[in-house]
Amino acid sequence: MRDYIIKRLFQMIPTIIVITLVVFAMMQAIPGDPIISLLGDAYDEEDAEKLRGEYGLNKPIYVQYFRWVSKLMRGDWGESILSGRSILNDVLIRLPVTIELIIVAMIVALIIAIPAGIIAAIRQNTWGDYTAMSTAMIGISIPDFFLGVLLLLLFSISMNGFLPSSGWVYLPGTCPSVVCEASWWGNFKHVVMPAIALGVGRAAILTRLLRASMLEIIRMEYVTTARAKGLGERLVILKHALKNALIPTVTIMGLQIGFLIGGAIVVETLFAIPGLGTYGINAIIARDYQQVQGFILLVAISFVVLNFLVDLVYSFLDPRIRYN
Amino acid sequence: MKRFLLTAVAVGEAVPAAPAKARSETLWAQTSRRLKRSNTAVFGLLVVVALILVAAFADVLAPYSATDTNPNAMFQMPNSQHLLGTDQLGRDMLSRIIYGSRVSLTVGLSSVVLAVFIGLPLGLIAGYYGRLYDTLVMRAMDVILSFPVILLAIIIMVMFTPTDGFWGIIKVTMAVAIVRIPIYARLVRGSVLSIKEKEYIEACHALGQRDVKVLLKHILPNCLAPLIVAGTLSVATAIIVEASLSFLGVGIQPPTPSWGWDLKANVAWIQDNAWLALAPGFAIFITVLSFNLFGDGLRDALDPRLK
Amino acid sequence: MHRSGRFYIYISLALACLLAFTASIAVAAEAKRGGTLRVAYGNKIANLDFHTAPGYEMMWVAMNIGCGLVNITPDGQFVGDAAESWELSDDHLTWTFKLRDGVQFHDGTQVDAKAVKFSIDRLIDPETKSGMRGFYAAVKEVEAVDPLTVKVHLQQPYAFFLHMLAGYRTGLVLYSPEATAKYDVNDRKKGKAGAVVGCGPFKFVEWVPNDHLIMDRFEGYYQKGKPYLDRVHIRIIKDPVTQMAAFKAGEIDFIASFTPEHVGTVKAQNPGVQVMTGKETTPMVAPMKVTVPADGKQMSKERKPHAVFGDIKVRKAVACHGLNREEIVKIAFKGAATPWIGMNPPGTLDTVNVNGKCPYNPDKAKAMLKEAGYGPDNPLKFEVITDNEKAVFNIIATVIKDQMSRIGAQVNIKLVDKVTWMNTMLKDGEWDMYVEDLLSLLTLDSNAYLSVTTSSWNGARHTDTHVDDLYAKYAREMNPTKRAAVAKELQEYMVDKLYWNTVSGSPFYQIAQSSVKGYTFNAEFEVHFENVWLDK
Repeated sequence: MRDYIIKRLFQMIPTIIVITLVVFAMMQAIPGDPIISLLGDAYDEEDAEKLRGEYGLNKPIYVQYFRWVSKLMRGDWGESILSGRSILNDVLIRLPVTIELIIVAMIVALIIAIPAGIIAAIRQNTWGDYTAMSTAMIGISIPDFFLGVLLLLLFSISMNGFLPSSGWVYLPGTCPSVVCEASWWGNFKHVVMPAIALGVGRAAILTRLLRASMLEIIRMEYVTTARAKGLGERLVILKHALKNALIPTVTIMGLQIGFLIGGAIVVETLFAIPGLGTYGINAIIARDYQQVQGFILLVAISFVVLNFLVDLVYSFLDPRIRYN
Repeated sequence: MKRFLLTAVAVGEAVPAAPAKARSETLWAQTSRRLKRSNTAVFGLLVVVALILVAAFADVLAPYSATDTNPNAMFQMPNSQHLLGTDQLGRDMLSRIIYGSRVSLTVGLSSVVLAVFIGLPLGLIAGYYGRLYDTLVMRAMDVILSFPVILLAIIIMVMFTPTDGFWGIIKVTMAVAIVRIPIYARLVRGSVLSIKEKEYIEACHALGQRDVKVLLKHILPNCLAPLIVAGTLSVATAIIVEASLSFLGVGIQPPTPSWGWDLKANVAWIQDNAWLALAPGFAIFITVLSFNLFGDGLRDALDPRLK
Repeated sequence: MHRSGRFYIYISLALACLLAFTASIAVAAEAKRGGTLRVAYGNKIANLDFHTAPGYEMMWVAMNIGCGLVNITPDGQFVGDAAESWELSDDHLTWTFKLRDGVQFHDGTQVDAKAVKFSIDRLIDPETKSGMRGFYAAVKEVEAVDPLTVKVHLQQPYAFFLHMLAGYRTGLVLYSPEATAKYDVNDRKKGKAGAVVGCGPFKFVEWVPNDHLIMDRFEGYYQKGKPYLDRVHIRIIKDPVTQMAAFKAGEIDFIASFTPEHVGTVKAQNPGVQVMTGKETTPMVAPMKVTVPADGKQMSKERKPHAVFGDIKVRKAVACHGLNREEIVKIAFKGAATPWIGMNPPGTLDTVNVNGKCPYNPDKAKAMLKEAGYGPDNPLKFEVITDNEKAVFNIIATVIKDQMSRIGAQVNIKLVDKVTWMNTMLKDGEWDMYVEDLLSLLTLDSNAYLSVTTSSWNGARHTDTHVDDLYAKYAREMNPTKRAAVAKELQEYMVDKLYWNTVSGSPFYQIAQSSVKGYTFNAEFEVHFENVWLDK
């Protein structure tokens, strides 16, 4: 087990190095001049040239790359050229919001998927199954931003602002700044629609997966205990099936986080939530290269680490699975 | 179970079948027979075909041009002249939806074809030759997979600079294709790995058959089934990714009509003219749904054991 | 019984008292102290180094955290800020400013002549890289005569020195020499505590980029009793629909710049809302590229005429007679803007209506195109590039495309984001025509970069130095009548040459709840909150 961990850690390192190269290369490939964004309507060619020199933007690419990476290794994610602010700071301010959104979306997904998957598996090929599966099919097919628009229409516009159409209220005690609104109810009102928009798609996938895993296990169990008598036996099989089906389901859930992060970008934009997604999009639109670089690198590395952790959990659980 | 999970991970959106063990000739006959029996799959297929026809014959079907403005007819409610009303510039929404199908379907289908075109050989090489090739290809795929799909697609589009028209569609197609390549590479590699162990492959080697021949004649046909299923289901995801890109403003640019762009632009008018935002949204939904239904049916037809 | 005379006297007295009482109530209510003004910005604040940062959103913050020498009222009068009085010498070469006593920076230091000299000197210093540097071209030297007297010596007469100090971009923003020495430019940019220091009514509290900015009352403000507000809380809300929803829900009191296309909706949703606007001071322009680099190198000094618009006949055909400005204004602004061809917007000083020089005449346009060699078998083709910062740009581009098709020209629209557009336009990139609105013009002189051959913002890259001569003549003419004549000459010349192509004015709206009192609307030039109070 320890060897496996070490082996995987070693595998991660070249991946991360290549990721930094790829991210840096992509930034260089994006057309545009950050100094133009910096100076804006006050743009003057002379000043621009001087600033380019100051920020080291006219140095050869590999020099710029090494400076960036060496700063990273010292824990310095650098500053935005446009705002002068520390990228790490700004990311940390926004991270909790996105994390909350993703967690609530996952909870929504599980609340929907677990009962639906169980019912569909138990009542296979009956109305319950078909309903659950059709709903899941719809859930997979509807883009999360369109679902968001529908929810907006239903709960915000039609009901005259019952649920707010945008913005954010923080959870009490998590205020990132001196002045902010914080309340439990306010936070709930702001997070519920985007979380549902994000979570439904995941719920659909998880439902199908849970159903399929449970069916596979049930079938096998049923075959080996073909002469099971009475309700008691079936219940035991079902509980056993559920427990074992949850393992791959939870594992997949971990991997779905990638889609959740991507979906969060779009949903945050729709609902104007001050999270990491809008931070990234704003940075990209403003061509704030330092911010985009830092943001993408952070997301990619977290993703790699997350996958690694999920793999660990999975391989840890693996010996206990008696199939295959 | 592990194989089950790996392929589930690879496809990401639905649970695909294990490689079929039957011989190719009867496989298709079996598949189409089972396919016909599934109502939802047939329905999905019909809608897909209908959409493709709509996109192909948009010029004939659309009552107006998708880009002609008409300042005297702005924000009309659906009426006999404009079945879906008009938008802020007086453009007929129905025509915009019809022409918009071109973008979505073209990007959806071409990006999958392109991704398979690149991912298939990569997976074959990685699976068959193993060792260094395997490591290189899989590391590269890992790098692509380290980025959330939409984020990477956004960055690629920004690198290409989003435009409109023919080149705009090419760029979006390439961006979507690039982020999907790893799925096919992994899928094919997985299939190749499991088939490679079979005795008859060793027999081929013993007989001195060349690698390429082995690959093409024996291994490739057995990868196709899951590939086709994954591909069909992928079209649905590709369409959603394209719509998301347009929604964020980095996909295909106006004046080329695009469902995602219209959805985003018309959300501003959702208070009084909600249908302007709902129409493109439903168009995306129906399209994605039909591909999913068909893809699901195809998967079930190829290997009904998992149903 | 009969009423005695005294009865009537008592009645009249009572009535008189009643009258006086009601009259005193009818007189404007007393300004209430306290409360938070919640403002919505549609764009982010770039950064907080007022001397170098771009963008209106920053400027409006600078006007409240910082203070200058003078400000300008909507009818063009100058009022003192840190300066109490000012005087121009007879030879028009020396300005003497007497400073108010007791004006303080937020760090406790005095606003004295040294601080004024320090601020202007650093703006002029090329090392500061301030975009305002060009405005001080006429300044030879700043002299701190005594702690409360500053003399500014000019190299040549400059008619707009006060206008410039008051309202060109942020106007002059005084920096505290101590605070500037203690903190560097990066500290100021990012809003580090203690680094952002001004002498204005509000002091900086906190900034989260793209999210919000807070400023609190500065208790040491020289206008005693002001500002009335405890706090100004600026939120960045990019989408107008979201702004409207927040406004309607009462979460926002003031929208600093509101998009014209939704003004009707906001009025309908909020009876009693204050919608403030005035004559347009920002031009909506569709300029055509006049020259391109002769050697293929961007920003090269060697130029050759643009393939399409290098020919003035084509420019005239398209922009003078081929554009129906009335129709554009009707579709894009629902009539709420002024069709305009002059380079000086309708609300700017010394503006002249030269619309008569370019009547809409599609037949004449077609004839001129034919003369230039275009026709049905060789149609004029060009591309309009515009950005998605404001939805109205794309609408105008679409209408232009439509109008061009009526004169046989084929237009292709390229929609990009603002940064890409700036890059293309500023760096001599490939473009034919663009649609955008540029900075507001307090005077024709205030955008030193419009149509001047030496300027980075001369996107059309024309090489006609006569324009520069007219600009300089205008800036140096001290007699207002003669100056207006020079302005007229410049505007007419520009219509003749069409290096610049204005389509209309770009209207500017500010929205406030009925409870917001005391705000003086002065276009984009002066957005001040020290007189604002909330009637709640």
